[in-house]
Amino acid sequence: MTEETISQFKKSFNYGSRSDMNYKFLNELSDEAVATFLQELLWKLGDTLDDGDLERIFKHIYQYQQKGYAGSGRFSYAASAFTKIERPKNEMRFALIASTGHFVRGQDPKPFGVEDMSQNQAEERITEFLRLEPELSSIPTNTPPDQLMVRHGGYDVRGAIKDHNVNFPIDRLNELAAEGLIGEFSSPAYSFVGACSQMRLQNHALPRWIEKIHSELIDGLILVPV
Amino acid sequence: MSVGHVARAMEDSGIATVVIASGVFSDRMTAMHLPRLVLTDFPMGRPLGAPNDNKTQREVLLAALDLIDHAKQGGSIQIFNGNYRPGNE
Repeated sequence: MTEETISQFKKSFNYGSRSDMNYKFLNELSDEAVATFLQELLWKLGDTLDDGDLERIFKHIYQYQQKGYAGSGRFSYAASAFTKIERPKNEMRFALIASTGHFVRGQDPKPFGVEDMSQNQAEERITEFLRLEPELSSIPTNTPPDQLMVRHGGYDVRGAIKDHNVNFPIDRLNELAAEGLIGEFSSPAYSFVGACSQMRLQNHALPRWIEKIHSELIDGLILVPV
Repeated sequence: MSVGHVARAMEDSGIATVVIASGVFSDRMTAMHLPRLVLTDFPMGRPLGAPNDNKTQREVLLAALDLIDHAKQGGSIQIFNGNYRPGNE
């Protein structure tokens, strides 16, 4: 049996033999940091064996994910536009757009023409997704949970399968609208696969999306990346 | 970083935006100088909190709406500190 190095081990989580979206960040860490992550994780699990407190495990994973994604990335801007709000939020009409890969059952966007693409298949084709123009899926805000599907080759969708509100909070926004805390929650909400071509998003998709959102008389957008 | 580009373009067209992101991406999101940004200390893929933690999910949205109400300029960031609590219905 061939010995596996830490370097090979950490790479295997990043779309390799152990592909795992929660831990693909390991590939961004030094070998030493990966060893420290695992050693500390096991130590903390020992504490949790005795007191059942999982909070330290959640925090540990979060902190190391943050280390993995540290740095400003490819896009850095010095300023942004800023729209002044003219009305209180309980008179505003809000819409939701999330880069979560949700769609309504029976309305699969069928990336690359593939029928019923699985989560694993999406992960395997991540490089192709990153060259693709994103497509908005329209999702009525009263869609029952069992009719809401999710698939995205860039993150672990298991949390979203258990409860879509972890990143696609249509139920919570419906509640806020019903309570009058926001003026209106516009239907449909929208989702797309955020792992896409940034150039095609900006040059081709966004001009159409902006037109659509304006035609729906939206005042405010809740935006959720994953 | 797709949502960052959506926020910047939508805001440029006159629509107010607020982005709710997991703080694991805080460096990248901050570098994009978004109009309004809420960063939560929840793991990747679950920026509003754990599955079925309705209370926290609601609080995160209220923090985002508060930023809509009170932000005075682009680059406004609110840090949401909360515990990740699966099943906290």
